Amino acid sequence: MDELFAVHEVKKETLDINEIYDLAIIGGGPAGLTAAIYAGRFRLKSVLFEKVAVGGQIAVSEWVENYPGFPEGISGSDLVNLFKKQAERFGTNIVLTDVRSIEKIDDLFYLETEYGKLRAWTVILATGAEPVKLPVPEEEKFRGRGISYCATCDAAFFKSKTVAVIGGGDTAIHDALTLSKFAEKVIVVHRRKELRATKILQEAAFSNPKITFELEYIPVHVLGDKKVEGLEIENVVTKEHKVLKVDGVFVAIGEKPNSELVKGLVDLDERGFVITNMKMETSVPGLYAVGDVRNTPLRQVVTACGDAAIAAAEADKYIKNL
Amino acid sequence: MERLLKEKDVEYIKDLFEKNLKDEVTLTLFLETNGPNVTKFNEQYLPYTEEIVKEVAELSPKIKMNIYRDDPEKEKEYGVKAISALFIEGQKTNKNIVYYGIPSGHEFSSLLEDIIDVSKGETELPIDIKEKVRKITSKVEILVFVTPTCPYCPRAVRTAHQFALENPNIVGAMIEANEFPDWSNQYNVYAVPKVVINEGKAEFEGALPEDAFLQSVYEALGIKLV
Repeated sequence: MDELFAVHEVKKETLDINEIYDLAIIGGGPAGLTAAIYAGRFRLKSVLFEKVAVGGQIAVSEWVENYPGFPEGISGSDLVNLFKKQAERFGTNIVLTDVRSIEKIDDLFYLETEYGKLRAWTVILATGAEPVKLPVPEEEKFRGRGISYCATCDAAFFKSKTVAVIGGGDTAIHDALTLSKFAEKVIVVHRRKELRATKILQEAAFSNPKITFELEYIPVHVLGDKKVEGLEIENVVTKEHKVLKVDGVFVAIGEKPNSELVKGLVDLDERGFVITNMKMETSVPGLYAVGDVRNTPLRQVVTACGDAAIAAAEADKYIKNL
Repeated sequence: MERLLKEKDVEYIKDLFEKNLKDEVTLTLFLETNGPNVTKFNEQYLPYTEEIVKEVAELSPKIKMNIYRDDPEKEKEYGVKAISALFIEGQKTNKNIVYYGIPSGHEFSSLLEDIIDVSKGETELPIDIKEKVRKITSKVEILVFVTPTCPYCPRAVRTAHQFALENPNIVGAMIEANEFPDWSNQYNVYAVPKVVINEGKAEFEGALPEDAFLQSVYEALGIKLV
């Protein structure tokens, strides 16, 4: 983080359960916050639900270098804080709670929360995605005991230690670079011969003396007694096994959509992502899906924001025609 | 020391306090100790902790500040487990809302929100959760291990502190894991937030919703729900 004592997330909001809202936004990452900015400018009466922390996955990115307008880059956490301030400027209500279920009766959506059932004419689903769990039998045993899904959160526990990063995409290489500031040695384990990450990130990783690579390997077991002590990997071609002595395993092998909430309500693709058209409409009129939770070809902050702008504009039109 | 709060944030927080503070709040800070039972700590953070607490206390006439240095009696009275310890006190607290280590990064917001809650003497927990929390009659100690760079951590810290404000039997403590490596090692903290209840009778990682958090408290107390 840029600022050690910057003010994040303080505004207090409460929910008016007797009100019928124009728009309920579910998810407080870049997509949800952008939808809120647009909705505020359309003067829609809207509410945004976030279940854990405003910011979404990008909040744990140490440095974002591909969001336009920040030529030097910006930390993920500062970027979303700016989004949030902008949304608040246009009057967004942000409520920190989870939505437990959604149903549609006639033209109204009913969202069940711990504060009661909220009614809204339209819903924008911006629930994002979450990291896929490491597919080894010991995942549950070692989660939080050396297996981690958040390098920004947990890197400091591995000062002068050896860690493995599983994956070869942008997140994995970002994680490896973050970890290299703390750990003695970072080993990137990736199932293919080449990394998938953006070239500029690859270059940074290849030129970092602390980072080494085990390419064409997959993890098969995490070893240890009470905490992680090693990682057993298998060569995808030769099937040869070997053990890496590591104290931590950071996992970045892809994402699964947070679409449980709308399962059975809207059409999902075979991987669980919400199917939308160009207008972000789902199979249920009045319900839109934006950002990482939908079947988008590119999961980035900038595309999530684009989706959200479209969905908010469509929701505005939809309400006017009700 | 150079001031830690930026001018624009100072204005924002002043305004926030002006609008939201009701009763007086006291920030009680323990900075030095020779007590034998206090966890080992990392001294480099102490000047910053002192400075940030002083700066925050200046932002509203309703905020008072006490600093204790090597005061074994007071340490005992408050049940101080490590240094630095910052207690947020108001009419409804019971020396049970505490930060061990510096409330920086994402936790700075937790501090501001706690001050507001303690001043109002109420939390925004849903009614059903409040009622269940208030019914707990046994002693509960909730430790929440965090790092300042963890955006999911404030939710866990806040829940522990809200429970504490609702019930004087509950102590809610944030622990900045970087400052207390031994304490973190004792509970095998390798990922945050990590919540440890009653010395490990129940524990979990991650920011859980309040109802699931409460289930863990019940689990630590051996309460089975039908």
